[in-house]
Amino acid sequence: MRTFVKFIALAAIVLAFPAHAADSVKIGFNVPLTGFAAADGNSARNGVELAIEQANADGGINGKQIELVVYDDQASPKEAVPIATKLVESDGVAIGISGSYSGATRAAAGVFQEAGVPYISAFAVHPEITKAGDFVFRTSFVGEVQGRAGAMLIGKSLGKKKVVVITLKNDFGKSLAAGFKEAASQFGIEIAAEYEYSIKDRQFGPIVSKVKADAPDAIYASGYFFTAGPLVSQLRAAGVDVPIIGQEGYDSQKFIEIAGAASEGVIITTSLDRDSKVSETKDFIAQFEKRAGFKVDMVAASGHTAAWVAITALRKADSTDKAAIRDAVAATKLQAATGLIAFNKLGEVKKDVQVQVVKDGNWHHHSVISDAKLLAPPAE
Amino acid sequence: MLYLDLTLQGLVQGAIYVLIALGLTLVYGLLRILHIAHAALFTLGGYLGVITFNATGSLLASFAIAMPVVGLAGMGVYELVYKPILSKPPFVALIASIGLFICAEELFRIVFGPYGISYASQPLAGVVPLGNGLTLRTAELAAIAGAVLSIVLLWLLSTRTRLGLAWRATVTDPEMAESFGVSIAQVRHLNFFVGSALAAAGGVMVGLLNNLVEPGMGAVPSYKAMAIIVLGGLGSIPGTLVACFSLGVIESFGSIYLGALLDRDAIAFAFLIVVLMLRPQGLIAVRQ
Repeated sequence: MRTFVKFIALAAIVLAFPAHAADSVKIGFNVPLTGFAAADGNSARNGVELAIEQANADGGINGKQIELVVYDDQASPKEAVPIATKLVESDGVAIGISGSYSGATRAAAGVFQEAGVPYISAFAVHPEITKAGDFVFRTSFVGEVQGRAGAMLIGKSLGKKKVVVITLKNDFGKSLAAGFKEAASQFGIEIAAEYEYSIKDRQFGPIVSKVKADAPDAIYASGYFFTAGPLVSQLRAAGVDVPIIGQEGYDSQKFIEIAGAASEGVIITTSLDRDSKVSETKDFIAQFEKRAGFKVDMVAASGHTAAWVAITALRKADSTDKAAIRDAVAATKLQAATGLIAFNKLGEVKKDVQVQVVKDGNWHHHSVISDAKLLAPPAE
Repeated sequence: MLYLDLTLQGLVQGAIYVLIALGLTLVYGLLRILHIAHAALFTLGGYLGVITFNATGSLLASFAIAMPVVGLAGMGVYELVYKPILSKPPFVALIASIGLFICAEELFRIVFGPYGISYASQPLAGVVPLGNGLTLRTAELAAIAGAVLSIVLLWLLSTRTRLGLAWRATVTDPEMAESFGVSIAQVRHLNFFVGSALAAAGGVMVGLLNNLVEPGMGAVPSYKAMAIIVLGGLGSIPGTLVACFSLGVIESFGSIYLGALLDRDAIAFAFLIVVLMLRPQGLIAVRQ
């Protein structure tokens, strides 16, 4: 019994403490730090933490230091809901950031919207996320937009017409494929065949054999670095030498490590330009690699961007009123690591798509797609 | 031509299944434990393989270190986890095993990092032409060779040595075997050592084939290998072999021709259900 009383007393003290720490501004952050998505989670966390450190060194939010409240959501919707509730209710964050995948982000978005706390998704692709309401924003592309950019890249820039589509069977891969197929005919692309694989697959022997028999002009394959690495290396080993076009899921030095020489010449659509001349991007890359000790990736840049959007809005609003903060986010016009960020009325980002290519074992600039009509995100 | 290619790819997948499922079927045959944590030993093998190779540049060293170390780790799992609860109902060991597997997965993530490790310079990366435009990667050929070698060695061990005789006697009737002076403890240790060493070889092979060893690489084997040993007739080695290769080939064709409807795992489990409906005892039943 006595231990129990002690426990209650201790709990009361612990709970009482945050009330005194009112001279800081809290930013909530749900991110997968364990489970299958932990690698991306670690990059995103490094990106967000860097942004917070930079902002705190530069006066925080108008004199108040920023406190980042981090929870591990394991990229799982059922973890994300209690975490989001905790962030808005007991932690009382001024704004939330998701460094997680679509399932978890979508689940958390509803909670933030309900509580009237602004929430920014750093790199989740599902179109439903921003439809949770007017407090939810996204600083990365919805899958469809990037899929359409992929179609333009293959059909127009590369001039390849007979394409095999290899799709990762989850919301990321499916929405990319949907965007790609929607825009394909516009660029004269004929889809010779489509194959799907599961996120657990690393051995693609059967698909590779079939693609070899299909003899396409180019391959549009969705995936993350840990599926795309083995896929690309197996396609090349089987003698399939046509262009392979991927997306931001490939965007990691790990992809090049896994696929080795086979990664040379692989082209992707993404948010980060490694050879950027823009100082915000150049500084971010240099600082990130110094802090994290590994090469930058799209997820890290997206986390950093989302955090800067949040910080900038908090500074501008200079208020604890969540509606004022929301309005400041909505009015964002910010040069960030992943480009010039502005939102449409649904809270979707309007920015250019960066095209990168693997050259001599590193990601490099290939081109930029800036066709505003093609890249228009959903507005309602 | 395509069919031949798909069959070949199915056999490669089957060979990987052999390396994982053999150890599992050995454990089940002897102790009637569904040893989920076997998949964690497989992952450990993958890590030891890639770390050893990146340090020494020798693939032989990878196997020479991964197999015995993981073999000993397997014996440790038996001593520390299974032995104290052998008298409990089988589900107790199963739950302990699942718990151990989940712990191990997160431990790999903490110790080796979440990104996974790749071979610094990928060994066996070449391609072997088999005529008619058919090719296999050297690593794929090595996986098949490794599976065949394991089968042969296991067969020799169990039929040509005294230890093997004691082993088979214990599987058939542990009490009778003990009364003839067989050391049950020794047989169980051997069993876990051999099974776990095979899993380690499987882990090194899969790490090579994917050029990626990641904390979650045991996730698929943890349940797929279960399906395989059920399919093979729980505890039957020939049954397990038939199950491995037939599942590999069925998945290979299925992922192309049924891929839009079912993914690879769904195909595997649909096959399992069909087989169990027709032959509830599995493909090759164990004589009781």
